[in-house]
Amino acid sequence: MAKLSETADTGAWREPTPPSSKLRWLFLCVSVLLLALLLVSRVLAVRFLSEMHTQELAATRALAERTRALSGLWLSIQGYDQAVQQFVAQTAADRDAEARRHLDRLTLEIDADFDRYPSVRDSEEDALLNGMRGVFSQQRTFYITILAARPAERRRRAESMLAEHLVSVQKQILDWSGRLQVWNSKRLQRADRGLVIQFTNLQGSLSRVLAIGFGSGLLLVLGSMAYIVRLDRQTRARYVELARSRHALQQLSARLVDAQETERRAISRELHDEVGQSLGALLVDIGRLSTTLSGDHPEVKTQLDNLKSVAERTVQTVRNIALLLRPSMLDDLGLAAALEWQGREVSRRSEIEVSVESESVPEDLPDEYKIYIYRLVQEALNNAVRHSGARNAKVVVEQLAKSIVVRVTDDGRGFDPDRSRGMGILGMEERVKRLGGTLRVESQPGKGATVVADLPIPGGGNA
Amino acid sequence: MKKTSVLLADDHTLIRAGLRMVVDAEPDLTVVGEASDGREAVAMAGKLNPDVVVMDIGMPSLNGIEASRQIRAALPDTQVVMLSMHSDEGYVLRALKAGAKAYLLKDSAEADLARAIRAATAGKSFFSPAVGQVLLEDYMRRLQRTGGEDSYELLTPREREILQLVAEGKSSKEIANLLNLSVYTVETHRARLMQKLNLRSVPEVILYAVRKGIIS
Repeated sequence: MAKLSETADTGAWREPTPPSSKLRWLFLCVSVLLLALLLVSRVLAVRFLSEMHTQELAATRALAERTRALSGLWLSIQGYDQAVQQFVAQTAADRDAEARRHLDRLTLEIDADFDRYPSVRDSEEDALLNGMRGVFSQQRTFYITILAARPAERRRRAESMLAEHLVSVQKQILDWSGRLQVWNSKRLQRADRGLVIQFTNLQGSLSRVLAIGFGSGLLLVLGSMAYIVRLDRQTRARYVELARSRHALQQLSARLVDAQETERRAISRELHDEVGQSLGALLVDIGRLSTTLSGDHPEVKTQLDNLKSVAERTVQTVRNIALLLRPSMLDDLGLAAALEWQGREVSRRSEIEVSVESESVPEDLPDEYKIYIYRLVQEALNNAVRHSGARNAKVVVEQLAKSIVVRVTDDGRGFDPDRSRGMGILGMEERVKRLGGTLRVESQPGKGATVVADLPIPGGGNA
Repeated sequence: MKKTSVLLADDHTLIRAGLRMVVDAEPDLTVVGEASDGREAVAMAGKLNPDVVVMDIGMPSLNGIEASRQIRAALPDTQVVMLSMHSDEGYVLRALKAGAKAYLLKDSAEADLARAIRAATAGKSFFSPAVGQVLLEDYMRRLQRTGGEDSYELLTPREREILQLVAEGKSSKEIANLLNLSVYTVETHRARLMQKLNLRSVPEVILYAVRKGIIS
C-alpha cells in the first residue's frame, strides 16, 4: 500500500523491482553439491571395484604360479629319483661319468626350479619351501654318498637302502609339497576374505553415500516443495489481489461514469425545470403583455420585443446546455428517436450527413443501456466530426439473437487504431465494459473508421 | 355558443398558469382542468371529456406522446395540441403518430395556442411556423448533400391537390366529395403519391407537407 501511494505521489509509473530470492540460490547450490557427491562416490566406487578386481586376479595368478612351480618341482625331484635309481641299477662303469653329469644337470634344474618359485613370499611360505629344500638336500647328500661308491658296492648296499630311504624321503617331500599346497590355498582364502571385507566396506560406504544423498535429496525435494507451495500461495494471493484491485478499479470507473451521468441528469433537470420553465413562463407573460398593450404604447412594445428576444435566446441557450447534459428525447421518445435526433443535430451543425438505422432497437431497454448507447454514438460521431473530415456517417443499432450491436461508420480519412487511442475511445470502452460488452475500433488510414460495440442483451443470462 | 373545453397538461405550474391565462383570454375557449403529468392527464381526460387537450411532450411518469396515444384511443373526438421545445422531426413525427393534430413550440405557444386549439377542434393540422422552417431546412440540406432529387416534382397536379387535402386531415371520402371524384380514385391517387414520395403513413404525409410548406 505504501508503495502504491508512493507511485501515485511521483505520478509516473515505475517498473517495480521483483523481490530477490536467496533461497533459490541455496537450492541450486545444494542440488549441485548433491550431484557432485553422487558423481564422486560413483567414480570412487568404480576405481575401488577395479582395484579389487586387480587384487583378485593377482591372488589367483599367484596361486596358479605356485601350483605350477610346485608340480614342476615335484616332477623334477621324481625325475632325479628315477635317474638315481637307474644309476644305481646300472653296472657299466664306462657310463658312470655320463650318468653323473646327467645327475648334476638334474640337480641344477631342481635348484633352478626352487629359485623359480615365486619370490614374493612371507616367512611361513619361506619356511615351508626351505623345509622342502632341506629334505631334498639331505636326499642329495645321501645319494652322493651312495654314488661315490663303486658300482658293485653300490648295487649291493644301495638297493636296500634306497628302497627304504627313497620311500621315506619321497613321502617327506610330498608332505612338504602338500603343506605348501595347503598353505597356498589358505592364502587364496585369506585374499578372498580380505576382498570380501573390502567389498563389505565399499558396500557400507556406498550405502552411507546413498543414504546421505537420499536424505539430502529428500530434504531438497521437501524444501523445494515447501518453496513451491509458498510461491504458489503467494502467486494465488497476488492473483486474487490483482483481480480484486482490477475489479475495484473497474467499479470505480463505472461509478465515475454513473456518477457523471447522474450529475449531468440532475443539472440538466435543474436547468430545464427551474431556469427553463421560469424563462418559459416569463416568455408567456411577456407575450401576453405585449398582446394586451398592442397599439397603445409603441415604445413599450419595442422594449417588450427586446425583452422577449433576449429571453428567447437565453431559453435556447439553457435548453441546448440541458440537452447536451441529458438528452430529454431519451425520456420523451426513447432511444431510437434520440439517436435519430442526434444524427440530425450532427448533420445540422457539421459537414457530415448522418443516417441512423435503429428501428429494431427494443424500447424497453434499461435506462443505463439507453444512455450508454446514446453516449457511445455521441462520442463516435463527435470523433468523426472533429477528426475524420468525413462526408457521411452511418449509425446502426440492431438487436441480434444474442446481442445488441451498435455500429458507427464514417467515410473519413481514418486512423491507425493501435496508435491513436484517445480519451474518447477510452470513455466508450469504459461504458461498453460497464454493460459487459466489447468494443472494436476498425480503421485504416484513408479508409474511414468503424466503431462497433457488442453488448449483451440486458437480463439475458449474465445479469 | 358552446365554448371549446380545454384540458391543460404540463408538469410545471408556472407554465400551466401562463397557458391558462392565454386560453381564458379567448372568449370561445375555456380551461376545464389542469393535469401535472401524463397519467393524470389521461385520467382527467376520461373524466372531463374535453374537446382539446394541450399536452406538454415531456412529462414525468407518462410522457406526452404516450398520454396522447391513450387519450386518442379512448376518446376519438378529443383532439391533442402538443407542446414541445423541440422542432426536430423525430418529435413531430412521433407526436403526429400518437394522434396529435397540432404541434406548438413552447417559445411561441402564447401567440399560436388559440389558433392551434381552434384548428385542432376543426380537425385541421397546425404547426408553429418555426417547426416547418426547421423541417424544411433539414430536408433541403439532406437533398443537397446526398444529391437526391425533390420528388415533389414527380407529382401530378391532382396528386399535389390530394396530398394537401390528406395533410390537412381530410378523409378519402371527404376528399372525394370535395373534388367530385370516386373514393376509389382518391385512394388510388393517394397510394401513388405516397409511393412516389416514399411515405408510409398519414403522419409522414403531414410531416412532408409541413416540410414543403404546403400546410402550416
